[in-house]
Amino acid sequence: MTAHLFNIKHKLGLIFVFIALAFPSDIIAQRMGHGASRGGGRSMSRPAPSRPTSRPASRPASRPTSRPATTNRTPSRSINGGQSKTKSRDFSGNSKNQVTRPSTGTKKAAIPSTSANGKRSEVKDRSTNKSSNISGNKVGNKTRVGNNNVNINVDNSRHTNINNRNTRVRTSSVRYSRPPYRYGGYGYYCHTPYYYHPYTPFYWGPVYHPWGFFITTMATTAIIISITNDSNDKEEYNYESGNYYLKTEDGFVAVQAPVGAEVPEIPKEAEKVEVNNTTNYYYGGAFYEQNKDGYVVVPATAGTIVPGLPDGGEEVKIGDVTYVQFGETYYQPIKVDGKDMYEIVEVKKD
Amino acid sequence: MKNNLIVVALLLIPSMGFAQETKKLDSTAVFILDKMSALIGDLESVSFHITNSEDKLDAENNIIKHYSASDIFFSGPDKLMVKTERAEDEIGFWYDGSLLTYYNFNENNYVSLEAPETTLEMIDEMNLNYNFQFPAADFFYPAFTDDMIEHFDSIEFLGKTNIENEECYHIMASNKDLNVQLYCSNKTQLLPKYFVVIYKNKSNLQYQSTFSNWVINPNLPNAMFDFLPPPKAKLISILKNN
Repeated sequence: MTAHLFNIKHKLGLIFVFIALAFPSDIIAQRMGHGASRGGGRSMSRPAPSRPTSRPASRPASRPTSRPATTNRTPSRSINGGQSKTKSRDFSGNSKNQVTRPSTGTKKAAIPSTSANGKRSEVKDRSTNKSSNISGNKVGNKTRVGNNNVNINVDNSRHTNINNRNTRVRTSSVRYSRPPYRYGGYGYYCHTPYYYHPYTPFYWGPVYHPWGFFITTMATTAIIISITNDSNDKEEYNYESGNYYLKTEDGFVAVQAPVGAEVPEIPKEAEKVEVNNTTNYYYGGAFYEQNKDGYVVVPATAGTIVPGLPDGGEEVKIGDVTYVQFGETYYQPIKVDGKDMYEIVEVKKD
Repeated sequence: MKNNLIVVALLLIPSMGFAQETKKLDSTAVFILDKMSALIGDLESVSFHITNSEDKLDAENNIIKHYSASDIFFSGPDKLMVKTERAEDEIGFWYDGSLLTYYNFNENNYVSLEAPETTLEMIDEMNLNYNFQFPAADFFYPAFTDDMIEHFDSIEFLGKTNIENEECYHIMASNKDLNVQLYCSNKTQLLPKYFVVIYKNKSNLQYQSTFSNWVINPNLPNAMFDFLPPPKAKLISILKNN
């Protein structure tokens, strides 16, 4: 039995060696490949813990290198650590030659990131997020936006809730004539060209309460709306004058409109927006469809153009463009008839 | 035991194909590349100007040229500053050895990211994770010639030619995907003057760069590599390229 186990381990080891040899890793950094610079040539990598937190005024003149197969010159402050080349470059005096060269496939060692002072940008990563929507786009945030009512701090003075369920995007029925902006294996589709303007939360008037706004008592005119969320839990919202509130220990906090909520009326400040050739109403970051009983909150639809965005979004750089992100919805800044506006982006996997 | 040896022999056969490749190398071309690489390797700081044109396909598969111009400053192994003017905007990179900042002058917003300890590692990591493009970065890899030999099937010296009144050595490298033509200037001790990358299997799209204003070992103050946010500049998030 022991001998049998040893045999299996032995064979697994051989297969591992085979994979390592058959698929040498190599990364194309810029326009050309640089496998030799990473593995076969002189590595720029330094020992991981070698960097003190307080750097001396002048650096040591030489850096330790041990590469017997290459010639290395290590000037004290060379911009790339000094040239590196293989010694065995023999052309035997011929101007043109056929040479055989072993390939290099060693990968550089990972360098732990250093800590430094100063503010850092939040890095969003699609691969770590599990939520998705009908058009295939996923929210990029892994830490600050959750599936249900996870607080995100947009303004330190108050808390804002983003519920991803309420930020999913319906696909546009209108064909896109413009090519998408491509980044990271996804296409970002819009009907209108990108035109950056800084994100400034829109103010819908005196009765509008931005998300995170706190009140201690609810107006008597408020109505209660019960919504079943993705986890099949019932959530009770208080609706009053276009604002939705969730009850907290001390009072009520304004939140985004829950998709599916039906209300008898919406504030007169609500604007008409064209969505898939039908008219919707837009107020406080929510889209409403009118029916015989009043208005129902519907998901955002890609291609919709809105004049302003509520509090709670954040600007995210995606390649060369900067979008405003609310949960799973990306808004592209655009200009229409000289006015700053936003178009809802349709994100599709390439 | 005999079975194991057979298994080992069978497993190693495919890897031998990777280990031995026939290359057509011109010794003059390799000598010029080595000289250029050696000079760059000896630099403690450098600055230069570069103009780029990059072909991209539009929705109708028409080739559209995109132009940009950059001023680039290297200092020591861990300082880099790049300012690039493009048709649509102006951007800049500041790298101080621990932090890389990408700033968009038109949008007045920036992204600051923890970065590796050396310029080349930083370039590698940022290119991989965020698609950041650093113009002409290829030339600053320490084993540039070895990299070329590894990735191209042939490297040839095509003769001398004049570009912008500078005598240049013309080198061509090619493999099944790329054709790279590089012109090293005699005036600047063989530093690159011009290069073009032709993507053979992508409609022969071209990426071209012309170098000028090379300054060898200039005295560059460290402060120019520290990013100081301009008034009202906004720190924003960034999505990883994966």
